[in-house]
Amino acid sequence: MKPFDHYSPKTLPEALDLLAQMNGRARVNAGGTDLMLKMKAGFLQPEAIINIKRLPELKGVTYDETAGLTMGALTTLRDLTRTAVIRDHYPVLAQAAGLMASEQIRSFATVGGNLCNASPSADLAPPLMVLGGTAVIAHQNGVRELSLDDFFLGPGQSALKPGELLKEIHLPPPTGQTVYLKQSPRAYMDIAVVGVAVRLHQVNGRCREARVVLGAVAPIPLRAREAEAVLEENLVDNGRIAQAAQIAADACTPIDDVRGSAWYRQRMVQVLTRRGLTALAAP
Amino acid sequence: MPTSIIGKRIPKLDAPDKATGRTTYGHDVRLPGMLHGRILYTRHPHARILNIDTSKAEKLPGVRAVLTAADNPQTKFGYGKDNTAFKGDKIRCLADAVAAVAAIDPDIAAEALSLIEVEYEPLPAIFTIADALAEGAPLIHTERRSNRFHTYRYSHGDPDAGEAESDVIVEASYKLPYVSHACMETSVIVAQFDHRGHLTLWSTTQIPFLLQRDLSEALDIPGSQIRIIQTAIGGAFGRGLDIYPYEPIAALMARKTGKPVRLSFSRHEEFMAAPVRQPAEVLVRAGAKGDGRLTFRDVAADLDVGAYISWGAVTPLVMMETAASLYRVPHVRFSADCVYTNNPTTGAVRGYGNPQSTFFIETIMDQLAEALDMDQVDFRLRNANIPNSETPQGLIITSCGLKECLEAVAAAADRGAESEEWGAEITNYQLPITDYQLPITKPHLKRGIGFASTLNVGGGARIYRSDGCGATVKVDDFGHVTVVTGSTEIGQGSETILAQIVAETLGTHLHDITVINSDTDVKPWDVGVHASRTTFIAGNAAYLAAVDARGQIFETAAAMFGVSADNLIAGGGKIKVKDDENRVMSLSKAVRKRHFREDGQVVIGEGWYDPPTKLVDKDTYKGNISAAYGFGSQMAEVEVDTETGHVRVLRLACANDVGRAINPMAVEGQIEGGAQMGLGYALTEEVLVKDGRVLNPDFLDYRLFTSADMPAIETIIVETDDPGGPFGAKGVGEMGGTPTAAAIANAIYDAIGVRLTQLPMTPERVLAALDKKRGKEQTLAKFDSTLTC
Ligand SMILES: Cc1cc2nc3c(=O)[nH]c(=O)nc-3n(C[C@H](O)[C@H](O)[C@H](O)COP(=O)(O)OP(=O)(O)OC[C@H]3O[C@@H](n4cnc5c(N)ncnc54)[C@H](O)[C@@H]3O)c2cc1C
Repeated sequence: MKPFDHYSPKTLPEALDLLAQMNGRARVNAGGTDLMLKMKAGFLQPEAIINIKRLPELKGVTYDETAGLTMGALTTLRDLTRTAVIRDHYPVLAQAAGLMASEQIRSFATVGGNLCNASPSADLAPPLMVLGGTAVIAHQNGVRELSLDDFFLGPGQSALKPGELLKEIHLPPPTGQTVYLKQSPRAYMDIAVVGVAVRLHQVNGRCREARVVLGAVAPIPLRAREAEAVLEENLVDNGRIAQAAQIAADACTPIDDVRGSAWYRQRMVQVLTRRGLTALAAP
Repeated sequence: MPTSIIGKRIPKLDAPDKATGRTTYGHDVRLPGMLHGRILYTRHPHARILNIDTSKAEKLPGVRAVLTAADNPQTKFGYGKDNTAFKGDKIRCLADAVAAVAAIDPDIAAEALSLIEVEYEPLPAIFTIADALAEGAPLIHTERRSNRFHTYRYSHGDPDAGEAESDVIVEASYKLPYVSHACMETSVIVAQFDHRGHLTLWSTTQIPFLLQRDLSEALDIPGSQIRIIQTAIGGAFGRGLDIYPYEPIAALMARKTGKPVRLSFSRHEEFMAAPVRQPAEVLVRAGAKGDGRLTFRDVAADLDVGAYISWGAVTPLVMMETAASLYRVPHVRFSADCVYTNNPTTGAVRGYGNPQSTFFIETIMDQLAEALDMDQVDFRLRNANIPNSETPQGLIITSCGLKECLEAVAAAADRGAESEEWGAEITNYQLPITDYQLPITKPHLKRGIGFASTLNVGGGARIYRSDGCGATVKVDDFGHVTVVTGSTEIGQGSETILAQIVAETLGTHLHDITVINSDTDVKPWDVGVHASRTTFIAGNAAYLAAVDARGQIFETAAAMFGVSADNLIAGGGKIKVKDDENRVMSLSKAVRKRHFREDGQVVIGEGWYDPPTKLVDKDTYKGNISAAYGFGSQMAEVEVDTETGHVRVLRLACANDVGRAINPMAVEGQIEGGAQMGLGYALTEEVLVKDGRVLNPDFLDYRLFTSADMPAIETIIVETDDPGGPFGAKGVGEMGGTPTAAAIANAIYDAIGVRLTQLPMTPERVLAALDKKRGKEQTLAKFDSTLTC
């Protein structure tokens, strides 16, 4: 690994000043479970590392029935699996986090790191997107908010600009039911070959709102809007589900790589979307 | 004979230190003034080197030496004597070393590598057997006239007549993958020369004495001036059975700099430069009579052995053993072509050719049983090997519990996945949410059961002119016993087993025994740790040494008691006169009496054991290669998701004839560890190689079975008391994973009616095979939205 400077700011403004000074030559380090691997492999060679683990502004989880959930970017995957308000109101997050990595990695890895790493297969992206998540982004002059639908730009590329930090994630109060399905050769310690998150909000047997987000089958976590459209305002029966699943599969643009062939990924989108919707539509 | 220590469940003696981080592995060795080496590998799989410029690298502060072929010996080494430390003119694969740097720290060494400029002239490269054997193909080793290294041809009986008399004949072709040893510890070596010019190596080799000889050739120094100290070894599985370029390279750097040099592989390097399991493409035909008797087998295998010959090219010896001698087959033909390519070099991996051949032989057995409409277990029992018999190949089978193994796993199958024995463990299995926890009906999940058996050498394997091992047993005046054995501990538990054998024989306590097994300057000769041989061979040697030491002690004790030595027995650290409870003395007292007197003597017993076996005939490949044979059977129950192709192994029952379990806990460990590798071979592990390059050189994309993926495993120990083994024991080190892939493939067929002939059986391959059965090719872009099977 190339030598680098290491900073450990104690407050958010201090961290933001440092980031601005370094002007793109520094990387922030949260859990380090993505960053360190890339540095060791030589893919990233930052001049400086800014450790953000001490920033109190990036910590904590709060929930309010009307305002919803706010969680700091430093919330770990382990926190997701154990925090009561998350388990009670957004169980899909606990479930998705429980499928990720191992207990050891989950204690280090953060929600912010998973999103900012901007991998198309990031397991938290699809569930946070179907829940309607918003990124709260801090910079030297304040904060800006951005829907997670617009957060990902390409593999490894998020909408964060130099000098910006992901401060927290906001979720509206939950409506409907949500599930995240992950297909990978191994049950644990594996990267998704395909990940599908589905949320279905039904009122009187009709779909009020549907969200379908697909992981690992496009350059970014992909919202399947056409699939959502055929469900919304309709009765979610087997025919509709099959139709939506097919549309979702058609919407994705997977690649052949060592983890899976394009045909298989596309097929899994169809299978998992159908299974997810079937499970949620059940009375 | 009643025993007090043999047959007991004893945790491995070295386990607590390993589990608590006290053990010194190769990666822990640090010597004063030590330098760090790094190797520069080529960028082309097949090329000519036009020029190497190291001047910039040499000027980098902190660099102590830059080595290339120019200033080093070009002596050929390795199993096929076709490899060299550095490549000077010709490159044959991406693991070829062009240069190496020794520097004061690893980062400087890495930076120096980037400053070395190499000019290549790329040559047309060969990545398939067909291309290698094509008319006018470029020669990988120009001094040979062909890329075909060797052809093995074996036969017994009259295969054509066997075919003619068959009532059913089945045929299938198979494709077997590269897999990695995936040792937790990557390859590592530290080399140091002393003032006499003698070389000491801290190494993870499995063959310290053969490596002495190999290095002596590669470095052009006498073997008597090479000392190999084996550090604790963090996984071997056959990786350490040959000499590899990094070993002489470390020594050459140490010689050039006059400093100790350490070379350790990154994980990436390990996947790229360490050998891999021999892949194969195989065509198999087999037949049987209507009454279930096997008639013939015909096996033709193509082996891409890679750019250099290591042990991969010898795996046909084991493949043919399975083809010729697993079950009783009157007529067998086997041929294998070993061909050079520019792909990775293949080597020995646990089971050594046997997981490959057991996969195709046991899935063919399944097809035969189906064609005959016979029960899978009955069909195998009908043809099972039997005790005290000789196979047409010349294997002399002494003890044989194959029948008992088959019956045991059949009984396990009958108990059912929901039975009490299995139920709890299976519900504890951690389920992927995708398929199992959804509140939907699951007609897409299908269950099936499959069986497979294995035959493995269990009493050494003579592949070198000696299959021997030496041992000494010293008893000191405190009654402490030091066992010095030629054998090597690679995590298989040999230290514990040898301590048990010696403790039982001397009648002393396990905690009074220390096993020394790591220094060629100290330990007597041994051919190496391979072929499941250590318990049998090193165990017999240690037993003989202990008997010798006991004889010396008894001689003194007999004089003290005034009885003949025949009347003495030893137990619990004491020597007793038979049938006279009052006449007892401690072992150490007798030893002190022997030491501390005029004309005193130390108590050192010695033993050398070389089994009564033969090298196979070099033309017919017949002969009794091992003094005993182990047998085993497995039953797998799987659940296949017909929509995702995901195969979940619900349970695996493993019965093994081990002669006698010297330590049942250690036997279970070997079987479960073997099964873990077998499950990976069956379902997830594959080194993906494209154009000679490894595409998945890390544990993210090379998928081992983790603890969370393991199914419930039932181990069943079958004891047959082998006449030649120490206390009746036979080897078990490799059998655990050998039949697993076949048992799972057979279970998948039982579940979904599809025969998979390519490993690993990944979700994608299973789904593609299902598609084919449904009449669709898997490359279809569009697909039916309501798949049913
Ligand atoms: C063994 C193993 C298994 C894994 N399994 C999975 C898995 O199953 N599923 C999965 O999705 N991932 C997996 N990962 C990847 C990784 O653990 C996760 O993506 C994790 O959530 C990353 O979080 P982190 O805090 O470690 O990120 P870091 O490595 O600290 O950071 C990742 C990137 O984000 C940037 N960053 C981090 N925090 C912020 C912030 N607040 N503001 C701006 N930029 C920021 C960093 O600069 C860096 O570029 C695995 C990794 C390993 C090593």
